[in-house]
Amino acid sequence: MTYLQAQNNAVMDYPRRDASDKLRGRTKYTVDQGGLETLHAVLVRSEVASGKIIQLDAKAALEMPGVRGIATSVDAPGSHGLGIADHPIFADGHVRYHGEPIAAIAAKTRRQALEAAKKVVVKIEASKPNLTMAQSLAKDARLIHPDWEDYEILYDGAARGGNIAWEATVRRGDTQAEFDRDDITVVEGCYRVGRQNHVSFEPRAVIASFEDGRFHVITSTQVPWTVRHVTAKVLEIPESHVRVTVPPVGGGFGLKFDCSLEPYAAILAKKTGQPVSLINSREEEMLTCLCRENAEIRLKSAVTKDGEIVAREGTVLMDAGAYGGEQVFLTTMTAHTLGGNYRLGAAKIASQAVYTNTPPNGAFRACNGVYNTFALERHTDEICKAIGMDPVAFRKLNVVGDGSLGATGQVFEGDVLGPMLDRMDVLISKDSPAEVDTSEYLYGRATTVGTWFIFVGPSAATVNLNADGSATLVTSGVEIGSGTMMQSLPQMVGADLGIHPDNVIVKTADTDASGRDLGVGGGRTTVSIGAASTAACAEVRDKLFEIASELLQTATNKLVLVNGRVEIAGMAGSGMPIQTVIAEAEARNGPIAGSGAFTAPGTPAMPGCAAGHFIDAIDIPVFAVHDCEVAVHKETGKVSVLSYRVVQDVGRAINPRAIRSQVQGGVVQGMGYALSEEITINDKGCIDQDGFETYKIPSVGDVLPIDLDLFEGAPSAGPLGTKGAGEVPILNVGASIACAVANATGKKVNELPLTPPRVLELMSEDSRSLDLEHIQSDWEKNVLG
Amino acid sequence: MAIRLTINGEKQVFHGDPRTSLLEVLRDTFRLTGAKDVCGEGFCGTCNVHINGEALPACLRPIGMLEGAEVTTIEGLSPMGTFNAVQAALEKHDVVQCGMCFPGLVMTMSKFFETNSNPSRAEIKSAMTGNLCRCTGYELIVDALASIAHERGLVQ
Ligand code: FES
Ligand code: FES
Repeated sequence: MTYLQAQNNAVMDYPRRDASDKLRGRTKYTVDQGGLETLHAVLVRSEVASGKIIQLDAKAALEMPGVRGIATSVDAPGSHGLGIADHPIFADGHVRYHGEPIAAIAAKTRRQALEAAKKVVVKIEASKPNLTMAQSLAKDARLIHPDWEDYEILYDGAARGGNIAWEATVRRGDTQAEFDRDDITVVEGCYRVGRQNHVSFEPRAVIASFEDGRFHVITSTQVPWTVRHVTAKVLEIPESHVRVTVPPVGGGFGLKFDCSLEPYAAILAKKTGQPVSLINSREEEMLTCLCRENAEIRLKSAVTKDGEIVAREGTVLMDAGAYGGEQVFLTTMTAHTLGGNYRLGAAKIASQAVYTNTPPNGAFRACNGVYNTFALERHTDEICKAIGMDPVAFRKLNVVGDGSLGATGQVFEGDVLGPMLDRMDVLISKDSPAEVDTSEYLYGRATTVGTWFIFVGPSAATVNLNADGSATLVTSGVEIGSGTMMQSLPQMVGADLGIHPDNVIVKTADTDASGRDLGVGGGRTTVSIGAASTAACAEVRDKLFEIASELLQTATNKLVLVNGRVEIAGMAGSGMPIQTVIAEAEARNGPIAGSGAFTAPGTPAMPGCAAGHFIDAIDIPVFAVHDCEVAVHKETGKVSVLSYRVVQDVGRAINPRAIRSQVQGGVVQGMGYALSEEITINDKGCIDQDGFETYKIPSVGDVLPIDLDLFEGAPSAGPLGTKGAGEVPILNVGASIACAVANATGKKVNELPLTPPRVLELMSEDSRSLDLEHIQSDWEKNVLG
Repeated sequence: MAIRLTINGEKQVFHGDPRTSLLEVLRDTFRLTGAKDVCGEGFCGTCNVHINGEALPACLRPIGMLEGAEVTTIEGLSPMGTFNAVQAALEKHDVVQCGMCFPGLVMTMSKFFETNSNPSRAEIKSAMTGNLCRCTGYELIVDALASIAHERGLVQ
């Protein structure tokens, strides 16, 4: 089959095969599993945010009815982390956040475990917590990790110091020289966003057992190989002693991109000799979810009167919470989410993960990009105001195009954002503007751009051809709801092998069966696992063609796979069913299988301009243009979204219907972020919102249909030209709504979410400008190195 | 304490604390895991089941109040091999994502369509407000459900 044929055959609105069971309540998520002998575990968590553990006594708890085992820090000596190993799974003598696990208890029933937990004696000498990044960065701030210099470094090259867990910087060109020019306007602004809880409907959950000297961990995760690695690291055992399998996952959005509960269950399983299940309650999920981090941002730009951005400086503080976690990695992304949208003369960008005595944060759909896009787009509109230029015209003039330099000096390929803005014009022109009653409402509209990227990195795939002509795909992919395992991968493999996707069996993730993989997230599954699968199919095809060319007396390059048959190209019916070739192959050499692998293609950056980055340049950028209209109620401050339009770069849409579904869902999650989902932390360091009553996610009454235009054809290293489509839809929702509200109210909108009280406050003040004093206007004063 | 009730057409007896929620009883005692425990406080609708003919959250109902009740869960809604109109429309329109919210949503909307076979889009939305979903953004679900009336030739 030629490449083009495969491309065309892969494209279809192929329906999900898991829908039927999900609609019957038959799907067994991790929370639905566990046999009669399974014990139930709970965690004993700290109720103070910062302090020294002076007594920990679990003897009385161990004697409680039903209790089978208790674990504490002595059972898990290792620490883990990304970049630096700063995180023990149990508080190691110090507690650093409210909710930090101190002990884990397994009992016959959950109730018994909860009763026993009350009997664990924990005495903590509390100290005053640093609850904000400003507190952590103050000159006399208490160190949250006094021993930070002694931690094992897992990735070299970043500046660290005090309460700054990690710093990534970009220095390209001489920004100062540009700021000193007398023909430019300097625009400066500060922005702040809160945390967002993923609220995946299935909480984090695990069932672990210890079988034949190895651990078997059944878990609701996006990253089976990370779970294997971290569990082994904290238990200080070889990785191969841990097997991870993954049932269908009831929502992830990045929450399950980290190892969290698995090691506790594993330890208890070994101690008790029984399988142990550990499931977070909703309250635990709310209070200790690895939220999208709160962030504080200062941006400063030098712009000519013609609208050229000659210099930009940006400092982004990302609240890591008590441990570095994923923020260490995510510092990398600021370079690309702040520096990958607009052409910049010179750039200095710093991104710092800051320790605070708050629950650790993590990755969340379009991580890092969502708030940087908000800040950047608001800043862009402020620039347009300052130089008197139309915001859409300014964007058309400045967005990156073919040959543009990114912040780290990478060269972008293809004109994508510019044509996407044109396509948005067309989309907008199809409808007339929404009508609002101006006596009650203020009307605003905004168009924004956003850049994110596909995580690539290692993936592996094996394709086994079955005697009946079907194929089994073995990978570490996980179905978290987005449909990649149910739709795009079977579509691609089916197209490659000339069989219907129904005849592609997709094996669920099992680290004992499949090759190593970075995990499901960052829009990477279709791209990375897809590419590995395509490579595996190529090997299968070669093996089939070798036999078929003999049977059909035709050169291999004349053969194609189509409709379950090997055919001579252009001559339907000339060949034979694939089963016949498989049977012959099995008789001669044994069963046919192919394997394939993929990793980051590796796009060059400019040498020496980026420090502390895990990724200096992005292999597969993804672009989005959003437009919305809003009405702001003058009396209540309530923001209603009147229309919402998206032009999204998808590379190539192999399942347009599935993409539409991702975009609708992603935009609605973004509306929650922009308008209602607010987390506050009280003076004890505890998150106030402990359930659905206090943390408001959008309901059906809050949303509207999204008008979508899929932009295809942008360059992509993904198989068939694909890019992941599930991650990006949330990227510029906060930005678009904020810019539209700013246009409606005529006020500076520097903070999200735009809850009615915040909007009212905004409207009631003459001029409101956020000044984050702990981030200096002089960029060099903010950075460590 | 023994509480007798009918679950999916079968007579059952629960022995235990009458304060235990119906959801816990269904999931832990009878291993009917179709109804999901997502919020545990009556806000999300994912645990909705039919209790004496009404779609209600099982997480808020102590089992002690359900002596003699008729309970239908998602497992008992339509026999294997068949789908009711709501399930059929949701499958046909391919709107399921992670799926956690769907058992509760199917229970709510199945009951709703029993009482209103020709709803408007607004009525569908209003019937759905108690069922939260984190994945789909709702609108495609509403489209799917609106098609039921369409396909019955009952378009408003
Ligand atoms: S779990 Fe019962 S309503 Fe949410
Ligand atoms: S499909 Fe995931 S919560 Fe609705």
